[in-house]
Amino acid sequence: MFLEPTFLIIQLLNGLQLASLLFLLSVGLSVVYGLMNFINLAHGTLYMLGAYIGLTVANTTGSFWMAFVLAPLAVAALGALFHVLLLRHMQNASPLKQVLVTFGLVFVGLDVVRYLWGDFSHSIDGPIIFSGPVMVLGEIYPSYRLFVIGLGLFVLVALYFGLERTRIGAIVRAGVDDQEVAMSLGINIKLVLFIVFCMGCGLAGLAGVVAAPVLSVYPGMDMSILVMTLIVVVVGGPGSLKGAALGALLIGMFETFGQVFIPSLASVTIYAFMALVLLVRPSGLLPVQPK
Amino acid sequence: MKITLPNNRDMAALFLMLIAMSFWFFADVFGHELLAQIAILAILAMSLDLLVGYTGMVSLGHAAFFGAGAYATAGFATMVDMPMWAVIPMSMICASGLAFCIGIFAVRLVGVFFIMITLAAGEMLHAFAFRSRSFGGDDGLSGVPRLNLETLNINLLDPTQFSLFTLVVAGLVYLLNRSLVESPAGRVLQGIQLNEPRMRALGCRLMHYKLAVFVIAGGLAGLAGSLTAQHNHFVSPELLTWTTSGEVLIIVIVGGIGSLVGPAAGAAVFVILSHYLSGITEYWMLFMGLFFIVVVLSGNEGIYGFLRHIKRTLENVKR
Repeated sequence: MFLEPTFLIIQLLNGLQLASLLFLLSVGLSVVYGLMNFINLAHGTLYMLGAYIGLTVANTTGSFWMAFVLAPLAVAALGALFHVLLLRHMQNASPLKQVLVTFGLVFVGLDVVRYLWGDFSHSIDGPIIFSGPVMVLGEIYPSYRLFVIGLGLFVLVALYFGLERTRIGAIVRAGVDDQEVAMSLGINIKLVLFIVFCMGCGLAGLAGVVAAPVLSVYPGMDMSILVMTLIVVVVGGPGSLKGAALGALLIGMFETFGQVFIPSLASVTIYAFMALVLLVRPSGLLPVQPK
Repeated sequence: MKITLPNNRDMAALFLMLIAMSFWFFADVFGHELLAQIAILAILAMSLDLLVGYTGMVSLGHAAFFGAGAYATAGFATMVDMPMWAVIPMSMICASGLAFCIGIFAVRLVGVFFIMITLAAGEMLHAFAFRSRSFGGDDGLSGVPRLNLETLNINLLDPTQFSLFTLVVAGLVYLLNRSLVESPAGRVLQGIQLNEPRMRALGCRLMHYKLAVFVIAGGLAGLAGSLTAQHNHFVSPELLTWTTSGEVLIIVIVGGIGSLVGPAAGAAVFVILSHYLSGITEYWMLFMGLFFIVVVLSGNEGIYGFLRHIKRTLENVKR
């Protein structure tokens, strides 16, 4: 039964759905790394907060779409607050110090969530339009998951055009390539950093609220996704949009098919894959090439 | 090996040991349990300090070796019926072997990437132990015996004697780590921390040194794991979670990196605080996290650095 085409297609779609979530999370982390040389370990916490804020909004307004719009905005605002209160004052500190501060925030975020929402797991009802199943090659498949895949693709295309075809995208790419030259050309790189950071946080919140109807919402959901996101960033090559997309696709597929074919070693497969990539290409599959 | 004179750090370590000993005299049964917990955590923190404080390798996957030591102890003792005196060194060898396998990949990476790969490696081991049927999965393994020292007329099943035993082991680990960091090889490690390109330019084989210290720290973490398995009589995947790694890293940084005695004191503070604060509030890690952020922001010196600062100020006042 493992090699039936319909079964494989269903698993392929599940893999794409996970890849889509991982892409939303890793793209922010990766581009911020390219710009600031810093990894935000609290990125998973932002994802968790996105899910919980979405939960509250959905429960009070009764509408998933309200949560879909408001939760990412709220998380982006939290990211902005973090940037203004802490990160901005540590621009000259070593990247390691910045990472350790975000690591402390992981513990803080976890207990704040436990305090506000309790220790049990919750779930959100998906939007009514996508509540029914659809037929994929004669198999029943939840339409909401197709929506998640579509959203991931949409964000990928939008960011690709935003980065490659617009002026602000050119500024961001200039910042990744060489910050000092970009600054000497009169570009306000600090402002660009701030906006990109907030957008990355907002995308993490978006991933959280979108994941909530599929995966359960519980304290500790932050670390399980963070580790996978970090692997995506390492495999894809930090700093690049294409790397994040390729890494998310590969890890999503490895995780999903690993769970099906070798369940006892499922989580080990993605780590083995990461080790292999690091051996062959230490800077990831699609790193930013210094021109 | 050259014998070095005791320095400030040794005096602080002696002082800490005296406090622990006086506590040992007056403690009740529960106090002895806490004391054993502190001593074991101190061993783990001192082993991580070799990486974080002396070589500049910030690892977020130290629980992997701690857990590997604990699981190896449980496995050898309950499944193979190996005598306990052989189980402890075997556990350390297993943890070192694991550190070697992970280290081969990890030591090539620096800074943030090293954090990421060690975190991922730790989570991988946790996922493996959680799923594995032969290692008990979610439930872990129980029925781990303690080392039998009856030929020396010591009964380690007695909490009083077990806590003394762990304190002695912690003292020995301190002495071992101290002689390591004072040795020429230890100087090389500190050189790597201060200026890696310069050490490379001097012709040092950095990867060998880094891998060696990673393996040694892994083995010592395995010793702590073995002791904790014997202390609790059981092991569970909980030992391998990122929270364990994270807490040890917090202990090392809050205690004061690169001082050995600071992390040991940090372990004592952490265990005592977690015991008393968790009675008051369930969310005490929130405050621990905030305190950690303050320590990182204020210059990475920790408790040890703070005390040294006070001592210097007092000396200046005298003059």
